[in-house]
Amino acid sequence: MADEKNKLLSKKDLLKSFLIWETFPQCCYNYERMMGQSVAHVFAPLIKKFYKNEPEKRKEVMKREIEFFNVHIEFGSCIIGMAIAMEEQKALGGDIPGEFITSIKTSLMGPLAGVGDTIWQGVVIPILLSICIDITLGGTVAGAIIYAVAIIVGAYALSYANFMFGYRSGSEAIMDFLEKGTLKKILKGAEVMGCLVMGGLIANYVSMQTGIEIVSSTSTFNLQTQFFDTLMPKILPFGFTLFVYWLLKKRVSSLKIIGIIILIAIVGGVTGILA
Amino acid sequence: MSIIQAILCGVVYYFAIGNLPFVGLWSLQRPLVCGFVTGIILGDPLTGAMVGGTINLVYLGFMSAGGSMPADMALAGILGVAFAITGNLDAETALALSVPIGILGTIVWYLRMTFDSIFVHIADRYIENEEYHKIWRANVLFPQLFAAVITIIPCTLAAYFGASYISGFIELMSGTILTVFKIIGGLMPALGIGITLQYIFKGEARVFLFLGFVLAVYSGLGLLPLGVIAGLVAVVYVQLSDRERVSE
Repeated sequence: MADEKNKLLSKKDLLKSFLIWETFPQCCYNYERMMGQSVAHVFAPLIKKFYKNEPEKRKEVMKREIEFFNVHIEFGSCIIGMAIAMEEQKALGGDIPGEFITSIKTSLMGPLAGVGDTIWQGVVIPILLSICIDITLGGTVAGAIIYAVAIIVGAYALSYANFMFGYRSGSEAIMDFLEKGTLKKILKGAEVMGCLVMGGLIANYVSMQTGIEIVSSTSTFNLQTQFFDTLMPKILPFGFTLFVYWLLKKRVSSLKIIGIIILIAIVGGVTGILA
Repeated sequence: MSIIQAILCGVVYYFAIGNLPFVGLWSLQRPLVCGFVTGIILGDPLTGAMVGGTINLVYLGFMSAGGSMPADMALAGILGVAFAITGNLDAETALALSVPIGILGTIVWYLRMTFDSIFVHIADRYIENEEYHKIWRANVLFPQLFAAVITIIPCTLAAYFGASYISGFIELMSGTILTVFKIIGGLMPALGIGITLQYIFKGEARVFLFLGFVLAVYSGLGLLPLGVIAGLVAVVYVQLSDRERVSE
């Protein structure tokens, strides 16, 4: 989109815009405009480069960019890059109506928020956390440090690459990426990897065992060690996790599930069914 | 706990959910990380990281989307670790204590989301007056001062007064109550995993949950080698299903 010769912004300007976006997008997160004001913050240092002697046009851009905006920060940063490129071309005399910029931004933020939240918060963070928690519980603080460094570096790197992709390639390339098979492949692979790690996590970190013993005159039968453990160790935690998943699928809120877990623990603990 | 340590806990909480810098939400907000930092403040980093990591299992796949915050895992992590270290609690008991704290903490987030709207109108006025260089005040300075007040004060008070009562409170708890707490601590990670499964337990990927479970139960492998295996399996799976699609 941005022609090499037709540029008003330097690499430094872009880097600065990116840093503002990735560092301050939710400093003033609010229900009315969500991240809108942060987009205006990104444009604030650029605006004098776009329009040197036309204050009315500057105001027009800023009013447009402070409108409602909400997306996944790292996956949506291509929209910010793209919006900057479009405003730049408009300032250079390109025939781009302001409403067009707004409508492209709004139409892209929904899908990118959906994909971003699912991959980032639903797959990347849980997998990385699972591994790093496991390392930590092995008796070293390294897990906590590795997680923090990896996720911070990862967030900035992904966001920067994505920002520059949006700036250079524009809206059509973003649409293309969303609709092409590449994204589907990434999602499918992420699901497979996530499921495998979650299976391992259940085996290692959910615990549930019964304290039921059947006492006869000659012997005691321990339900946990003599039945469940011989059947398959950890079978109860696995079943319980699937039960919680089923509740979530039935749209039972996590708050209610916390209540249910506490209730099960109290009843089970007092009666001795659970130990 | 000294008052200085309590204030530092409050500051950690502010950086964890204040969103300055934004990546705090992905890093310091997680109990594994804020628990570790709280541990440093209280002189026991390893216990902090281990208790924080255990608490974090509950919040594995918790998703903040569209401005929602289902649970305040940072407050749960910081106070859970603070109480565990000062009261000598084990990780499961600290986890059971921290979950209700996490529910209570969401008030802070919703308070911010509501009140921050005020600052946007200050920015509107800056734009009207063409004072673009001042927008950072409305976007960062004012809302962050507000965030600091509503995060540091409650967390400091809770850490300071909570810590002095916690040991007495735990002494009151006898056998059965302690057992119940441990059972809660054992069951609660199922919630974090269940929430994550909502996003990934789909279609043909389903069978891999069972594979991962069986593999872990019988091999005793840790999560790191298992994660590497999982990554490789995912690549092979995608390659194979790709080939099928081409040959069809």
